[in-house]
Amino acid sequence: MKQLFDRLQALFGVTDFERKRDDLAFLKVPKDHAEMLIRHLRDHEGFSHLVFFSAVDYIEDDIFRLIYMLHNYGTRDTLGVHVDIARENAGMTSIHTLWAQAALYQRELKEMFGIDFPGSPGVDEDFMLEGWDEIPPMRREFDTRAYAEKTFFPREGREKSDPRTHMRKQFYPNWGEGE
Amino acid sequence: MPLKDVIAPFYVWKRAFEKPYTTAKPIEERPGAASYRGFHTNDMALCVGCGTCETICQNEAIDMVPVPGIETTAKDSGLRPMVDNGRCCWCALCVDICTTGSLRLTNEYIWVSTDSDGFRFIPGTGDNPWDDKALGYRRDPGYRLMDYERQDMAMLTPEESARSFLEVVKGYSAEQARKEAERCVDCGICIATCPAHMDIPEYIKAVRDGDFETGLRLLYRTNPMPATCGRICTHRCEEVCSVGHMGDPVAIRWLKRYICDQVPESDYADILRDQSTSNGRKVAIIGAGPGGLSAAYYLTRLGYAVTLYESQEKGGGMLRYGVPSYRLPYDQLDKDIDYILSLGATIHYNTRVGRELRFPELMADFDAIFFSVGLSDPYGLGVEGEDHPRVLSGLKVLEDVTHDRDPDVGRRVAVIGGGNVAMDAARVSRRLGAEVTVLYRRRIEDMPADPEEIHEAQAEQVKFVTQAIPVRVEEGPSPRQVNIRWGEAEMVADEKGGRPRPVLMEDRIHTETYDSIISAIGQGGDYEFLSDEYADRVEMKRGKVIANEYRQTTIPKLFVGGDIANNTADAISAIADGHQAAVGIDHFLSSGS
Repeated sequence: MKQLFDRLQALFGVTDFERKRDDLAFLKVPKDHAEMLIRHLRDHEGFSHLVFFSAVDYIEDDIFRLIYMLHNYGTRDTLGVHVDIARENAGMTSIHTLWAQAALYQRELKEMFGIDFPGSPGVDEDFMLEGWDEIPPMRREFDTRAYAEKTFFPREGREKSDPRTHMRKQFYPNWGEGE
Repeated sequence: MPLKDVIAPFYVWKRAFEKPYTTAKPIEERPGAASYRGFHTNDMALCVGCGTCETICQNEAIDMVPVPGIETTAKDSGLRPMVDNGRCCWCALCVDICTTGSLRLTNEYIWVSTDSDGFRFIPGTGDNPWDDKALGYRRDPGYRLMDYERQDMAMLTPEESARSFLEVVKGYSAEQARKEAERCVDCGICIATCPAHMDIPEYIKAVRDGDFETGLRLLYRTNPMPATCGRICTHRCEEVCSVGHMGDPVAIRWLKRYICDQVPESDYADILRDQSTSNGRKVAIIGAGPGGLSAAYYLTRLGYAVTLYESQEKGGGMLRYGVPSYRLPYDQLDKDIDYILSLGATIHYNTRVGRELRFPELMADFDAIFFSVGLSDPYGLGVEGEDHPRVLSGLKVLEDVTHDRDPDVGRRVAVIGGGNVAMDAARVSRRLGAEVTVLYRRRIEDMPADPEEIHEAQAEQVKFVTQAIPVRVEEGPSPRQVNIRWGEAEMVADEKGGRPRPVLMEDRIHTETYDSIISAIGQGGDYEFLSDEYADRVEMKRGKVIANEYRQTTIPKLFVGGDIANNTADAISAIADGHQAAVGIDHFLSSGS
């Protein structure tokens, strides 16, 4: 895998090579070289299988990190390709031309993160959130808790205690009273 | 028609005799994968009921509830999580954040029931069939949602600190304070242990938000000496901090100090806006230590005219005359005291009740009296020769240093004792240029001094000799010297189950010569000021004044607090006493009971 990295470094400017296991490694590539690199990996390095395609929201750094997980059946190696893209007007070149099923992942990423893949078939259709009118729920600024509170009513008879109040009741019920 | 098409329908019949690929529910079960995220289980003995799982749950699937058989203790709220599986999405954030590692998910995932309320359950009670399942999702040991390491505190090096009276602890930077504050999980378990029940999570939140005005107001609600306590508090809150189960406890004391360090004294009045209207009643306070000052603050706020009587020339009590300035700089103590007194209390310095004025006069002139005079009578060594002029009292040494007088300890000093006074006397002697040996009758771990004080004394090259019992004090080779005979002790287990006792080994006696011996083995109360008329009416037990929960003594208008009334004998307990006595006095004078 290290040799592969050295080759790719010269060709595509990949960085941050990180080996997790003997058969699993990650690397990072600039957005503009990503599609070329992935095509190269598929056609010339034997990574013919797209295992999955996902994203993580690093809101602190103002980026989404795309993760293309590729597998080589010949060597049984798995390679994760990280691509950082800006959160604002997030978009990325579609890879449905490389793997048709990528369109489905891209549709999911559009719905969950709001990342656009222009030209990807059906990318604007609902994936699983039918009738969703909030911001994409996997974006970190989405307040899951507030949404759960307003959407799902609490079960009747639910009661809860707060540790500090509960302990006060047991240990010092009359403390500071009268102020 | 090809022959193959003719045979095919009969050919597939052979499949009927093969093992099917489907699972025959409910005859066969298919177990979840080894790290599957199924139903919750909880190690009830390990869980401390901090409620962090409840707080992090984005679906509000968890409620903290009391559970029969689980008792509330200082470190355990007594509550346990109850999970509503109608809301749970098995994201396992609750497992990842769990402060003790007690909560996990099992790989059990099948549950059929017609009772929808049955899906709310308390994991780990033993009532759930999967409670003891070993497999399922656990947090990877290397994976942390919390920062387990405390922010390092900048301190003087031992070489620097042993030579000066500068403050040893330098305090956090803004960045460090914010990072440290972010480690708090906001459970609130610490509040019960703090004698003053300070709202710790809220003021830590104020540090997180950078809102020091709110922070200061929160501190003063329960403690009017926060700059002081931010430095020298015994911080028992940190011993019960839920973050401390897997990492370092949050540096609560230093965050308190950080708030006070950010607000200049001149801004206190504008921020705290302590205003009150006079209620026409008068309260006398005897002793302007932490207890008396705390009572003065809360009584003034309640509208009482407060008069303090202090035997020393300045306020602060043991904080000024017993705690050296490298731990508590005088300007920080004065910051606290000045603000309290700025609210209008009258203070008479150099006025000892029982000498400059009589206690019965106070009883006649005031509506109520609070006394918190502290323990000021050092115990003697209790061995032959203890009256030797080169045997000094630890308290006296510390007081001399506060007054800028040379306590004349000499170049070679032995300190007898293992409490904070002993550590302070030893460290002060180091700063005065002496070689110091601490002799203590038990082991280091038995010392009542704060562990930090012991470590810092060791770092400053104070020598510790433990299991050493003084036997006799004798004349030294010169009038400026003194000999001490001490014997090695062996620790003998206590038959009644108490802590092991040191027993002198008669054949292992040593004699050493020192320039001075500093005795610091504790101190007792001096109640002479009460006068004969009242002394008998105030109930005492083992040298401590008895009081009810409002710190009221057996004489109804007389309230008490601080080291003479509580068993913890630290500043924060005295401050708590002062607060509670103020509330008690207010009750008493409003309702007459």
